[in-house]
Amino acid sequence: MTWLIWRQHRTEVCVLGLLVGMFGIALLVLGTQAHDLFPGGPARCAGEAGINEACAASFRRLDEEYGYVENLLAGFYLVPVVIGAFLGAPLLARELEDGTWQLAWTQAVPRMRWLAAKLAALAGVTVTLTGMFTAVLTWFRQPFDAWEGRFQYDAFDLEGLVPVAYALFAFGVATAAGAILRRSLPAFGVAFGAFLAARMPVALLARPAYATPLTTMEPVPVGGSKDQAGHWPVPSFADWMIEHGYADATGRRLSWTEYYELEGAANRAGTNLNQFLHARGIQQFGVYHPADRFWTFQLIETALFVAVAAVLIGVVVWRVRRRMI
Amino acid sequence: MTATEFALSTDGVGKRYRKGWALRDCTLALPAGGVIALVGPNGAGKTTLLRLVVGLLAPSTGTVEVLGHDVTASTPQTLSRVGFLAQDHPLYKRFTVAEMLRFGRACNLRFDQGLAERRLAKLGIPLDRRAGTLSGGQQAQVALALALAKRPDLLVLDEPVASLDPLARHEFLQVLMGAVAEGGVTVVFSSHVVHELERVCDHLVVLNHGRVTLTGDIDTLLAEHRLLVGPRTATDLDRAGAVVEAVHSDRHTTLLVRDGAIPAAPGWQAQPVALEDLVLAYLRRPSEPSDAVTSGVAA
Repeated sequence: MTWLIWRQHRTEVCVLGLLVGMFGIALLVLGTQAHDLFPGGPARCAGEAGINEACAASFRRLDEEYGYVENLLAGFYLVPVVIGAFLGAPLLARELEDGTWQLAWTQAVPRMRWLAAKLAALAGVTVTLTGMFTAVLTWFRQPFDAWEGRFQYDAFDLEGLVPVAYALFAFGVATAAGAILRRSLPAFGVAFGAFLAARMPVALLARPAYATPLTTMEPVPVGGSKDQAGHWPVPSFADWMIEHGYADATGRRLSWTEYYELEGAANRAGTNLNQFLHARGIQQFGVYHPADRFWTFQLIETALFVAVAAVLIGVVVWRVRRRMI
Repeated sequence: MTATEFALSTDGVGKRYRKGWALRDCTLALPAGGVIALVGPNGAGKTTLLRLVVGLLAPSTGTVEVLGHDVTASTPQTLSRVGFLAQDHPLYKRFTVAEMLRFGRACNLRFDQGLAERRLAKLGIPLDRRAGTLSGGQQAQVALALALAKRPDLLVLDEPVASLDPLARHEFLQVLMGAVAEGGVTVVFSSHVVHELERVCDHLVVLNHGRVTLTGDIDTLLAEHRLLVGPRTATDLDRAGAVVEAVHSDRHTTLLVRDGAIPAAPGWQAQPVALEDLVLAYLRRPSEPSDAVTSGVAA
């Protein structure tokens, strides 16, 4: 079976392996240069950026010289999906397209053993390739993460465990769609579409609700310039701010219309906005997830996508066992 | 008689797809040894029946026993005793012929690689060619060599020669019959072509609209049936249900009857019937209106 699986899928495995390898080498080269900007490590530098001029300069250079790579990588959250879908789609669909399922399942290897071996091998390749891809990417992003936190979409979706879960999700969808549609290319498309359709609501709606967010509330500082009022009261830049705004003295949150009315009133009165707000007891609030929830959130999202993948694989197993294909 | 004396026995087998029944009430007991032809028009349910026999499909009703074992069990032992050649003889198109043989060796318990290589060498099929680049006839031969190298006790072939040109068809049947002559293997194959069957087959199963309409040893069937030719008559001709088909011309009525050998009535002349005419007569019989059978997945 091992030889057969390798012979049947070596093209996909080699193409994907080559792409991940090339990507990895490019990122290692660029990443080594980027890491070299921080002799003491980016994490320590981030803590000192306010007081250490060298660190501040390092982060400026990082942004100027490697910011484009970071922007480019933001789109790479789709790579694990491509890997999973590319390996999953042909697993059954190609056999069904070519009629070779009738050949494969009438040899002396029972179909369930055949299916188990294929699923294990190809899911294993999926996990290995995405794992390598994600490891390199996570390492490359360390300096950026030190500065920006790991909760933004270009960090959370590309690092840690969730890319592997995305890949398994795509693998499951592609395999199940291939079993039902009996065609590889539509199965690949379905996996891609399903991921995009799932990712939006998960990232926008589900992810902020994995845990109850914390809230800070403090009076508008009297002395600050208008610029500083834009710095929301969150303990650390690495926290994930999901909502911010103004509240009145009783803690009732103001709508932005109410805020603009206050701003207009301050302008008409010709007073400093911050002093104006401070005098009225207006407070700033921030709703956020602290940075140390990163791994909890990663685990929750991973479990979510892996569970869906498992259900889909279960459907495939059930269909093959029941001889519906 | 125990089940193991049958190569294949089905009991009340039916298969229902979403569109309807492709096969209903199929009860067969086919003896081991010899060649069994499964005949029927396109969409009669032949492919469905054969896929049930090799365990590719599970029956919606009834049971299928092959060589005394329930096929849905699908153990390596039972699988290794049955060879299957699907319609259009699918192969992994990008595999070389040698890789196809390696596939056979990797996935079987008693794969006779030497036998397959000898067969292919005799046919002049190079081992280093990709299967997809071979001609249709050569692909069929590779698929057959693979199936035979399993050394199966039962070999099932779905329309093995339908897509082949006359020469390739002849060569294919020659190899197949050679393998049968070497002994030990029971062959079941489906066909919608009726001629030449008599030369090749021992046993016949006629399938129409998802139902078995005739089954039996070919010699016995030919002995039981005969044509009666007499003056044209419109009266009730059904002699105790023995008339299979009545054909009227201007002056004569020709009856195909299954009555053993009762002496013909005065004025009637008895003639033997050719196998092809016998099969066609059974295929022309209208199915009962209750048989809401749709054409199966024969594509």
